[in-house]
Amino acid sequence: MRPSVIEVSGVSKGFTIPSVRRETVREHALDLFRRRPQERLSVLESVSFELRRGESLGLMGRNGSGKSTLLKIVSGIYPADAGQVRVHAAITPILELGVGWNPDLDAIDNIELLGTVMGMTLRELRAATREILEFAELEKFAHLELRHYSSGMAARLAYAVAFRAVRDVLILDEIFAVGDAGFKERCQARYRDLHRGGHSMLLVSHEPRTIAAFCDRALLLESGRIIFAGSADAVADRYLALLTEEPPDMARPAAR
Amino acid sequence: MVSVATTHVQQGQGRFAGLVWTLIRTDFKTRYHGTLGGFVWALLKPLTMFLVLLAVFSYVFASEPQYKFDLIIGLFLYEFFQESTKAGLLSIRAKGYLLTKAKFPSWIVVVTSASNAVITLALFSCVLVTFLALTGRAPTPLGVALYALYQALFFAIVAGFSLAASVLFMRYRDLNQVWEVITHAGFFIAPIIYPIGILPERVHAYLYAWPPTPIILFSRSVLLDGRTPSAFAHLLLFAVTAIIFGSGALIYRARAPRVLEEL
Repeated sequence: MRPSVIEVSGVSKGFTIPSVRRETVREHALDLFRRRPQERLSVLESVSFELRRGESLGLMGRNGSGKSTLLKIVSGIYPADAGQVRVHAAITPILELGVGWNPDLDAIDNIELLGTVMGMTLRELRAATREILEFAELEKFAHLELRHYSSGMAARLAYAVAFRAVRDVLILDEIFAVGDAGFKERCQARYRDLHRGGHSMLLVSHEPRTIAAFCDRALLLESGRIIFAGSADAVADRYLALLTEEPPDMARPAAR
Repeated sequence: MVSVATTHVQQGQGRFAGLVWTLIRTDFKTRYHGTLGGFVWALLKPLTMFLVLLAVFSYVFASEPQYKFDLIIGLFLYEFFQESTKAGLLSIRAKGYLLTKAKFPSWIVVVTSASNAVITLALFSCVLVTFLALTGRAPTPLGVALYALYQALFFAIVAGFSLAASVLFMRYRDLNQVWEVITHAGFFIAPIIYPIGILPERVHAYLYAWPPTPIILFSRSVLLDGRTPSAFAHLLLFAVTAIIFGSGALIYRARAPRVLEEL
């Protein structure tokens, strides 16, 4: 059996509900004299799974089911409240890539900023800049400040940097949802190349066909729990069935 | 019983060297983005400010030739303190878009946030020492070395404050306004526009408790008067620096793991 690269065991996570959070010195000072309720929203409850070397694992679930929070915990961006996360390989997460550029810098400077955050050296980045711009089809706009980019152009640039920065494990949140048909095709081809090259993948998608086409097996998350695990096809079918059911708690806010 | 454990493969501290350099370079570039003269302005600013202040104060305080230098050193050092602590306090919020992309230590963005203020202070220091040398008031090599040491300690104080304030700001969103009021009041606590000698000696200890005060007074002493503060005074400065940096690091360490949840 292939060794595990990520082991998640009994992970739970909750957040304080924003409406009752105290956010200023003034509010904290006033609350010395009156108590405010501290309500916690449970987002993940005792989630366990493992990702094996060279495996492509899909993660499906409705909005607010805890997918993005789980990816952030696995990526080391959020800590878990309980449980264990063991990561035995270098992770490259591709999360929230449509947002978060320095608008006053051009594409080349932003590539260096995001690339170094993702663990690339400046030498690697300078050698790869042309390839990144070509992948994003933005060679002509290399010296244009990001404030002048459309959201689609900015997202293409982000994906191009992230795909180039992949180390061992790639974690993707809603990949293939960006750009025109040609760009999606290039992303899918790059994903297949990385998978064939032995990289492990953890892929979140709302699209059953994507999970079925790109994953070896998958998990279905609902209300912070894994309710089904199996082949990618089986999970995609179960997800479609789930969509026609009544959500268990319509008041549940979206996970962060 | 709840147990929490997270272990990630270590990717080596060396990989952050490129990130540190890129953050400093892009912060510098962003600051002077679109300005007339671009980054050359960054070099000219300390020089022109120095010359303007020198010309004005030479005229206004013609009878007190020493006072204008005291004032200029005080103003520049205090501006460094205000600018760098403000940038440090806001740093995690400002760079949140990078911190949520991948796992890397957030202290890097906190410490590098002072880079623009450090560059300005370094250039000002070069201009000041050069001017003093050209006008026959060259400080001794020991004086210059001690001045550099004081600025390094000043940076450590700023870093300690910034580590704590950057994570606390995510919880207390009006902390920047509170700090702004404190630094404005602190301008008059530090003996910048007045000589400390005009105040009764019994209040000096309170003035020295405000970190910019000893840095400004010691810097003036070694550069302008050629006097080295006592060993005990140095010991106190080191102790204050260690306490501020240590406290800041402890607060940061306690709050940093969950700070990104507040973004």
